[in-house]
Parts: sequence; structure tokens; C-alpha cells
Amino acid sequence: MPDETIYQSMKNKGVSRRDFLKLSGLFAMALGFTKAPPFEESGLPTSLEFSPKVAEPIVRAMETKPRLPVIWLEFQDCTGCSEALTRSNSPTLSSLVLNTLTIEYHETLSAAAGFQVEEAKQQAMKKYAGQYILVVEGSIPVGEEALYCVIGGRTGEEILKEAAAGAAAIIAVGNCSSFGGLPKAKPNPTNAKGVWEIITDKPIINISGCPAIPEAITGVIAHYALFGTLPELDGLHRPKTFYGVTVHDRCLRRPFYEAGKFALSFDDEGAKKGYCLYKLGCKGPTTYNSCATIKWDAGLSFPIQSGHPCLGCSEPNFWDGGGFYQGQSAPLERPEVTAVGAAVAAGVVLGAGMAVANSNQKKAAEALKGGSK
Amino acid sequence: MSIEPTMNLFVKKTGGWVASQLEACTRCGMCAEACPYYLATGKAEYAPIWKVEPLRRAYEQRFTLIGKLKVALGVEKALTDADLKAWSKVDFEACSVCGKCSGACPMGIEISSLIATVRAGITAAGLAPAGLVEKTEMQMKCGSPNGMCEDEYIKWFDSLEEKTGVKAPLDVKGADMLVVYTSLEIKDKRHNLYDLAKILNAAGIKWTISMDARDAFNMGSIIGNPKVQKELAGKILNTAKKLGVKQILVTECGHGFTTLRDAVPNVFGEELPFFVTHIAELLPNLIKEGKIKVKEGYFKNGHTYTFHDSCKIQRQGGIMDEPRYALKLLAGDTFKEMDSIRENGLCCGGGGGIRSIPEANENRLAAFKLKLAEVEKVGADVVVSTCDNCQLQLKDGFKHYNKAVEVKGLIEMVAEAMI
Amino acid sequence: MNTQTMLELARGPIFYGALLFFIAGMLYRLVTVISLGWNKDLAKPRGDKATGVVKSFLRGGIIFPFFPREKAAYARNPIVYIAGGLFHLSLFIVVILGAAHMLVWKSLIGFGWPTLPLPIVDWMAAVGIIAMVALIVNRMVHPVMKLLTGVAEVLNWLFVFLPMITGYMMTHHMFLPYENLFVLHMMSINVLLVWIPLSRISHFMFYFFSRTIHGVEWGKRNAMP
Repeated sequence: MPDETIYQSMKNKGVSRRDFLKLSGLFAMALGFTKAPPFEESGLPTSLEFSPKVAEPIVRAMETKPRLPVIWLEFQDCTGCSEALTRSNSPTLSSLVLNTLTIEYHETLSAAAGFQVEEAKQQAMKKYAGQYILVVEGSIPVGEEALYCVIGGRTGEEILKEAAAGAAAIIAVGNCSSFGGLPKAKPNPTNAKGVWEIITDKPIINISGCPAIPEAITGVIAHYALFGTLPELDGLHRPKTFYGVTVHDRCLRRPFYEAGKFALSFDDEGAKKGYCLYKLGCKGPTTYNSCATIKWDAGLSFPIQSGHPCLGCSEPNFWDGGGFYQGQSAPLERPEVTAVGAAVAAGVVLGAGMAVANSNQKKAAEALKGGSK
Repeated sequence: MSIEPTMNLFVKKTGGWVASQLEACTRCGMCAEACPYYLATGKAEYAPIWKVEPLRRAYEQRFTLIGKLKVALGVEKALTDADLKAWSKVDFEACSVCGKCSGACPMGIEISSLIATVRAGITAAGLAPAGLVEKTEMQMKCGSPNGMCEDEYIKWFDSLEEKTGVKAPLDVKGADMLVVYTSLEIKDKRHNLYDLAKILNAAGIKWTISMDARDAFNMGSIIGNPKVQKELAGKILNTAKKLGVKQILVTECGHGFTTLRDAVPNVFGEELPFFVTHIAELLPNLIKEGKIKVKEGYFKNGHTYTFHDSCKIQRQGGIMDEPRYALKLLAGDTFKEMDSIRENGLCCGGGGGIRSIPEANENRLAAFKLKLAEVEKVGADVVVSTCDNCQLQLKDGFKHYNKAVEVKGLIEMVAEAMI
Repeated sequence: MNTQTMLELARGPIFYGALLFFIAGMLYRLVTVISLGWNKDLAKPRGDKATGVVKSFLRGGIIFPFFPREKAAYARNPIVYIAGGLFHLSLFIVVILGAAHMLVWKSLIGFGWPTLPLPIVDWMAAVGIIAMVALIVNRMVHPVMKLLTGVAEVLNWLFVFLPMITGYMMTHHMFLPYENLFVLHMMSINVLLVWIPLSRISHFMFYFFSRTIHGVEWGKRNAMP
């Protein structure tokens, strides 16, 4: 019943006004609001724009906006992003699924299966054409290799294009749907691609990560649901709210980096003392994500805190970015011995050629009597 | 086209030794700060490494792909006759090949040796200064660049008997030591023959002189003519071999000493069967070994003495401790050191044949001013030197700037102080 | 093409190619020079050549930049030896003892070593950059250096300066996003790697020749202070 407002639907489910306001505050925090987003497009009263009470626009929005229809497609994925989303302890999430969205199609969450659910999807796509949000999880094989991912007798590429045609916006969740992820890793046998490489005529938001941080997913969806606009994006179409700074910049081990204190192996004294993992291949300095601030499992921890270097999973092609335990600054490829040998040989051969020419010159000069009068 | 002989010479002379040093230069210009001619005149083109420019260009353009590419792209022009003419003015008229720059070079490049090669190239093109060419021809003709031909030497050697009562030991086979004078001594310091004879006889050394090896002067080394150098040095080498001496003593000649000791073995491709020494090394050693006795503090007579380090004998010859030992003995605490000494000694301004080039007079006297400043700073009124050419230049300079500073040689001092 | 792709190119194939070009180019230079032939010195040495060589390297490599042999000469153009010495010191500290650079070496040669804390490396980098600026200004002003400076010398300076300044900006997140600066830093390194064999920056290789020759020549005469 997407036509009732979010607040109404919550009220019908027995959510008190007090809980509603708390939820609004949580949303505001999750979205990183310090002030309200653009108001012109959202249709909210402009008097709220400079309100110091950041939860207020959320409250207003929830009171006025209808619930948002969502279609969630999965392709070459591990369902890890869905898992992360559902296992999130964040109260915003369950509220999001239950209250602000109507999930019309989700292969993993749907009770129905087979042609029934496919039909339901077709209906929803027709009914909410131009209004629904398309969430994509997993990379999509294209071209001849599209056959590697077939659902209900149709290729993933086909399904995506069909669903994208009527979408208001597409949210690519996880590194696979954003940038191709693991399936795209060299040699990319399935010719996998991220959504934005296939669909070019729709607004696309990449919430990369392996998996994507649940709060980032919910935050972005909530943003769109509440304000009808997309959050501010970076060059890789990632919301700046969550991908504005590097993991390194917010890392709790950062002081050790500055002080030059590093763990050199996973079981040395430095590792035990919680020193910086940079020399163990941490990709934090080039990885934009909010792991270090939002963390995982209700803010319990994140990889670096738990003692493992960042893999850089929110960046394109992180599987091919050198070894996970190879330095972040290191060149991606180490020249092979044969290549170095070839270079050495080339240099020596060229030098030897020059040497022969030079020696001939010297002989010629030696033979000439006019060398010195 | 007179560039070809030059190129040929450069090509022949450019081995790994030259090439690796040319490649090592970072164009930092530090050599200039050591060069007396640059410092005295402030002319940038007198920077030592700039004097090597023709050789660098020849090397790069002939031997390296990068150099060839540079010429093809027009970034650098091929070496021309006009270039050599221009560099003749720089390399001959503003350089005494003193090698101070080599000590200043952060990369340790032997700049002065490279300059000598450039000079040889310029000479091969027939562009050496007229003054030097004239002297070279004179030495080839009569054995001495100063026109002191054989008869002059005969007279000089003959005069030994009347002065000291000892007959000149001409061509003594089986003598220990062949003494080779310079034609500067016969001209201006004739007493060196008598003084040295007194010292050597007192030390009981079996020495000899020869008309075939009468002049250590080697215009070939100075002007950079390998053929002349070989011919002139060959005379001394052959005489020494013929007489079977154990060592050659070069008196007050700088370049003649290093030519014989360091260049000749490589020019002739053989190790010398004898030892080449210099009076700067021999005399103090004789004193040290007690073979001659001198009166200690003989020259403590109110004068202040200082020692001028000559480029060929001290910096390039390595004979730095010995003359100082003698001077400390003879002059005691009236012997004072200047600022730039030993390896870093400042050139008198008159080496490398520059005294034979009238066009270079201005540079020569300007460079001398630096030396003068050091002498005046230390307050010396007697400058001692072991090089004849330096002594002449110093005398000249002091006279030109009206300074009452005396110039003395080590031979005369030791002879005078001998007991 | 987005920044990530450019970074992958700059850190991947382009760096790979530049490194191989560097290796081949330096070997070409080395072989060409060595093959020109070396004459055996037949003159009797007056001093010990080996001692001369040791002293030459001590003076040239360790003591030299701050305690020059020709003190008077260096006092006349102090920028070259103070800024030049500091620049080289900075270069070695940053490139060898900086954590990020050590990891590059480690990935290339297979082993690593302890590194210095970032602030020290950072200050040294700043010192190096200031020294480089002083050097180029000096080069443009000093009459002799002006004469010796051609296009190649300016390019030498530029191609060494670019990695330094981009690296510094990178650690301080100045003006541009980190990855963009990373791309610029890597690309400037790649340019430098290609440029070295073509230019006089290769003096680091011939330095060992010239210093050895210096030691032999002066040691032979027993005139090595």
C-alpha cells in the first residue's frame, strides 16, 4: 500500500509518536545531516532549510511522503550485501524495510517463488513505472557471456535493462554491481560488468563495498524515499556522505602510522599492540568508505580494528590491485624475471652495438695519420 | 676542414676513462669557484668544465645515440672550426691546467686532464696560440723553447768547473742519477747547476748529466702535441736507458717531472726501468737521511717565509710534506702557511704555457692577484717555490704590482744553509 | 577514464614499461661507456691507489656534502653544496626510509626494512623541496651555471621536482583528491624513469666511475687529503 504516507503506515502498525521521532533522529544521523538537503526538489517547506533541528525535515518528510516502491535484482552475487542488510542490528534498517519501503521484488526475501514472483515483478514495474527504485546486487555478464547468468530463462543483461527502463533511479549495492567486483577480477571469464557500464540513461548511485555497509544502503534509500532526490555523489557515483573520506583518514590506528609504528606480521609485537597495518598491505589510504566511523555489527568493529588490513573493497578492481598483503603504494605488477632479463639483454645488445660502431670509429681514427700533426 | 684532425684525436683519446667522467658531470659549476682565472676575471666561459665542452660534444655526437639524436633534432650543433677557435682563447689563455678544479668537483672529475685533451684537439686543428707554436718549433729545432741551444748548454756545463772546481759529469755510464735541468734555469737561474752539484756531491751521489737529455721542458705536454711530447721525452728516456741510471732527477721543472713520471710510461707503453724524482722530494730526503747537513734555523733572519704549492709538483706530484719539512727546518717558525695550500694550493697564474702567450698577460696577472692576496695575508716577504716557472711568474707578478717580496728556490736555500 | 583506471595504468603497465625502459637504458649507457676501452696505467704509483679510492668515496659520499675539501671554493657558491647536499640527503631518506617507498622496494626486490616515522620523512621531504627550489633559482642566477644550463638541465630539474612535489602534496592531501595526486605522482615517476637514461640524472651511476678515478689518480700521487 504505497499510497499512504510513511508516518501513517507506521502509525497503523502501532508505532508511537515518540518512537517515530526517535527514528527520524536516527535517520538524520545516518544520513550525516548537519543541515537539510536541497528543498526545491523535495517539496518540503523551505522554512525548514536552515533549521538547526536536523531531524525536523525527516519528520516532515515522513509525515508527507508515500512509501517508496523498490525492486531488488540479484545477478552474479553472493547475496552478501542482502545478508549484511538483513543482519544489521541497526534499528533504522528494520524500520526502513517495514515502514518506508514497499519491497515489491527481492529474490532472497520474497516468500513467493518462480513464475508467481516474476509476474508480481512485472505488475509492479508496470504499476510504478517511473517511480520505483531499482536496487541491483551482483555484477552482470554481458555480450556472448551474458549466458553465464540466466534467471527464468532470460539473461541478466536483459532483465536489468528491462527493469532499468522504468526505474526512477538505480542503486547499485556492493562492489559487484557497482564496479564488477569479484566476478570481474582478472581474467573476468564471464565478461562481468557493473551496472553503470551497461545502463547510461538513469541516475545511478554506487554503494560499493564487499559487502556494502548496511547503513550506507539504508541511508541512501531513505534519502531518496524522504526527499525524492539523490544525495551528493563523488566521481565514482558514490554518495559523499559515506564515501567522502578515506578509511585511513578516520582510522583508529592512524596515530601509529604517523608515528612510524607498524605491525610487520600478523603475530608480532606490533600486531599485538595494535600498530598500524600499512606495511601488511592496508589499502586504507586509497579506500573511500565509512568503515572506520560507522563500523559493522552495530558499531562493534571493522576489519582494521579487528587486526586485518583494509582490502580496499569499495574501490573499483580491488581484486586486481596487487596482493591484499602487498603495500598500498607498491606498483601493481612486479616485473617478471624474464621481462627484466629481456630489458637487460636489450640494453646490453644496444650498448654492444654501439660499442662495435664506436670501436670501428676508433680504429678508423687510429688508422688516419692526420690525428695529430 | 681542419676539424677532422681534432675529431680524430678526440675519438682516439676518448676511452672509458674520459667518457665515464664526461657522463658524470652534473653541470653544477662548482669547478669555476676553484679556478683562479674565473675568479680573477668573473668570466663565466672560464669555468673549467666549459673548457671541456668541445670534448663533451665530440664524445656525445660521435659515441652516443643521445648525442646523435641531439644533433639530428638541432638541439645541439656539431663541433665546428669556429668553435675550436673560440675555445682556443679559453683553454689556452685562461687555463694553466693546474687541476684545482678537480679537487673541487663534487663528482671528482679530473677536469684538468680533460682540458689537456681539449688543448691537444685544438692544437691538432692548428689553432694553438702562436706563442706556444713558436716555442714548440724552437724546442724541436734547438732543444730548448727559449732558444738555449746546444752551445749555450756546453758553456753552462763547462762553467761548473770554474765555479765549483768539479768537472761536469757528462754522460757517465753506470751513474746512479741522471739530472735533467730546464731551459729556464740556464736562462735565469744558472747558479742552480752549481748549487745542486754542491749538494749532490756532498751527499755522495753518483750523478750525471747529458747533452741528449739536457732539458726537462716538454712543449709537447704543454701545447698538447702527442708526437712532440713523445719525441722530446723519448730523448730523456733513451739517454737514461743508455746510461743505465737508477733514477732521473728533475730539477725545478713541474710539467717535465709529471710528464716523465706519469705520462711517459703510458706514452711508450712500458714501465720505466728507473725512478723519477724531483728536487722537492730529493733534497729534504737527503737532509732527513743525514746525507747532507744543514744549519737548522739558518733562514731565521727576520723574514717571513711561505711556501707556494705548484700544481705539477705538489698537487699532481704529491710532493707536499718534503719541502715543508725542509722549510720548517731552515726557517723554523718564520715559515708560515697560506690559506690555500697542499692539494688545494692556488695557482701562481703562470702555468700551462700561459707565460708564452702574450694575449694572456692580462689574465695571468689577474690570476696572480689572488696569490698575491694570500701572500700578503700571511705577511710573507719571501715566497719559496720548487718550480722554476712559478718562480718566474711570482717574480713577475710582485714586480708588476710593486711588491717587495723575494722569490727563492729550494735548491739555493739548501745549498746556502749547508754546513 | 576515471581516476581509478588512470591510477591502475600509472601503477601498472606504464610503471612496468618505464621500469624496463630504465633498466635497458641504463645498461645501454653502462655498456657503451665501459666498452670504449680502458688503458692500463703503467706509471709507478707514489702512493696507494686503494687508499685514495676509499678516501675519495668517504669524501664524496659521506663527508663531502657538509665538509667540502675545497672549502674556499664552496664558500663562494654555498647553495650548490648546502642545498645540493640536503637535496640528496632528503632524497635518500624519503625514498629509502619512507614507509610507502619501502613497500615499493619490498614489492620489487622481495624484502623490506624498518622505516622512519612520517613526520621525520615529511620534514625531510619539505627540506628537499626547498633545496630544489633554491637550486633552480641559483642555477638561473649564477653566471657559470646559467652558461652550463640548457633545456636538458631545466628538464632534469623539473622531472626530479615533480615526483617530490606531488608526493608531498599527496601526503598532505593538498589541492586535489588523494588518488588524483597518486596518479600524478606515479606518472611523474614514470616520466623520470624514462628520462634518467636519456639525461645527466644518470650521474648516480657514473659517480662511481668518476669517484674511483679521482681516488686512483690522487691516491697514485699520494695527494689525496
